[in-house]
Amino acid sequence: MGGKEISLEKLRQRETRRVAALFLAPVAILMAIYVVYPIIDTFITSTYQWNGISAAKKFIGIGNWKTLIADESFWIAFRNNLVIMVLSICIQIPIGLALATFLDFGGKKLTIFKVIWFIPLLMSSVAIGFLFTYALATNGGLVSTISGWFGGGNVDLLGNPKTALLTVIMVICWQFTPFYMVYFMAAFTNIPYDVFEAARIDGATRGQYFWKIAFPLLVPSMKSAAILSMVGSLKYFDLIYVMTGGGPGTSTELMATYMYKQSFSTFNMGYGSAVAGGMFILISMVSLITMKLLNGKEEA
Amino acid sequence: MKKRVAKLMALSMAAAMTASLAACGGGGSSDGDGGSGDGGSASGGEKEIVYWNIGTESPDKDVIAKAVEKFNSETESGYTVTSVPTQNDTYKEKLVVAMSSGECPDMYSCWSGGPMYEYIDSGFGQPIDDLFNASDIKDKLMESAIGQATYNDHVYAVPYQNVSMSGIFYNKEMFEEYKLEEPETLADLENICDTLKKNNITPFALANSSKWTGSMYYMNLAARYGGLEPFQKAVAGEGKFTDDCFIKAGEKIQEWVEAGYFPDGVNSLSEDDGQAKQLMYQETAGMLLCGSWYTGTFSTDSAEFYEKIGWFPFPAIEDSDADPSIMIGTVGDQFIVFNCEGDKLAAAFECAEAHLSDEVIDFEVENGKIPPVQGVDEMLTDSITKEVVEAANNASEIQLWYDQYLPPAVATAHLDGLQEVFGLTKTPMEAQEAMQKAMDDYLANKAE
Repeated sequence: MGGKEISLEKLRQRETRRVAALFLAPVAILMAIYVVYPIIDTFITSTYQWNGISAAKKFIGIGNWKTLIADESFWIAFRNNLVIMVLSICIQIPIGLALATFLDFGGKKLTIFKVIWFIPLLMSSVAIGFLFTYALATNGGLVSTISGWFGGGNVDLLGNPKTALLTVIMVICWQFTPFYMVYFMAAFTNIPYDVFEAARIDGATRGQYFWKIAFPLLVPSMKSAAILSMVGSLKYFDLIYVMTGGGPGTSTELMATYMYKQSFSTFNMGYGSAVAGGMFILISMVSLITMKLLNGKEEA
Repeated sequence: MKKRVAKLMALSMAAAMTASLAACGGGGSSDGDGGSGDGGSASGGEKEIVYWNIGTESPDKDVIAKAVEKFNSETESGYTVTSVPTQNDTYKEKLVVAMSSGECPDMYSCWSGGPMYEYIDSGFGQPIDDLFNASDIKDKLMESAIGQATYNDHVYAVPYQNVSMSGIFYNKEMFEEYKLEEPETLADLENICDTLKKNNITPFALANSSKWTGSMYYMNLAARYGGLEPFQKAVAGEGKFTDDCFIKAGEKIQEWVEAGYFPDGVNSLSEDDGQAKQLMYQETAGMLLCGSWYTGTFSTDSAEFYEKIGWFPFPAIEDSDADPSIMIGTVGDQFIVFNCEGDKLAAAFECAEAHLSDEVIDFEVENGKIPPVQGVDEMLTDSITKEVVEAANNASEIQLWYDQYLPPAVATAHLDGLQEVFGLTKTPMEAQEAMQKAMDDYLANKAE
């Protein structure tokens, strides 16, 4: 009818955009309500002195943030988070990879191991926490009993500030190593079988195949796994909360448990929000820097 | 592609973490004003009164059930009360979250002291002076119990559950076997400990991952060394928590830790899992210093074992001039606070009165409780609870538990520091300085 001629190409593009917007809307709206808005609100709350329940809030600007930067307890918590991060990556990923390799080489007859090793991941963190609190109990716990057989005394792992953090890290690793096992098993299936066959025909041993061919092909997955583990460690909360509650003293205090205590136990919601904001900034920074470092070469 | 996925994933996970806290904070900011005025509207139907408490285990559970049932069947107000019990240690946090999101229950029980003042200041507790003065529970309750329910000269709460004094429970058979007697002085007590220790028995059963349990020892020691004046002065900002009596108490605890008076791994044992009482039941520990609500715990768990238990108040210290009759404890233990108005408040108050009706009180007494009512000592038949009430009646002063009495931030500093004192990772001085700093901060904030 003499209207503007629309090329087929343009029509298609417009349609694609419309459909994309339609399909993305639910996620975008949910993200906005449950992720973006709360983050902004956290930062707003962090500028108030507020006990969390009262209607009266007092605006104090960056007062909470100043306190946070000078707050020794927060930095101790951050250091504990870093310890968990480093040890988690160093323990979970190699063991996860080793288990996955074992299962991959073993094939179907090892399915039973696959099932057994996967069990820890299926349990809830709180249940694991209680389980290990009993297993590691000083009186009558697993470790104390074994130590008793060899003539040693009771071993207090969770109540001793020197060993509490390491003990909890071991439990965390026990819980999450299966996750990386499954992760790497999936990565193994991504390597085409032809590659393996070709390597074998060329005379590679299984060891050579793993180190020279499979390992390099798995590196990208390992990077993603490391980042997952890193972010998970930095925001860790549940096992610590159940097993030690951050104690004894501050020896297992994490940023998240500290935030919780400030917000809910000591009626310091404003400061708790500042801690949450600080966590957000620190975790984003650490993640971005690590990603830059890991992927730097390719991007350059 | 993979990179972008990982990047997105990392960022969204970081974001999700922050979101979880903010969700709570956010709710509070928008509902805060509503919460103070008509807090009741958020919870339950119009004629329903939601009542939060910590009665998850017998006998507390049964006492509350009985009182609520009595109210529901007899009331003419048209309201019904729904009881929502929550486990002790998660209760406080749950309450705070509920308040911050405008879901505060219509009536709830708490331990009075610092947190209760905080709730009231934030508009989640209504004064009940008129109802209280017109009610016969006014003459029924002990004076000191009413005092503990009063804040800024208004009555805000109804105490109902238990007079609980901290004191030492001991295994009578064990004492007989080793020819021991109830101690008069701290030196006597230490002699007992040494004897038990020599016989491979842990002197004190203590589970200190809960932190407030260790505070029992500390409060009693501090009160025996210096009386209550140093504490009261420190709270008022006129004194310091680094006073001599606090330091001495901490040093004594460390001395006892080093002498092995407490079980191995004391800081990892959990009171909530009953790991202290287990040591008593296994008869590997001889004494237990805790609140007298333990009479109920022991007798409910095993009436047979309860026969073996004796009780004495914390002994005096020889060279101290502090009054040894001072008791640490609570007169009421649980206090019902009201967050509703008008008819609803009257109905809720009626339900609270039901907690103090003769039949419920009789039932409490039967179950080893000491309801904070006058003349309760004559109703008691149990010898230990009689001793406890006697000690409470003879006390020149009764100090509420530090961790309940102090502002929450100071209480946390006290409990965290003391746990490290038990773990020998902090000196008493360091712990007390941290506590004093928290108190200074609190007072400075309040003055602003």
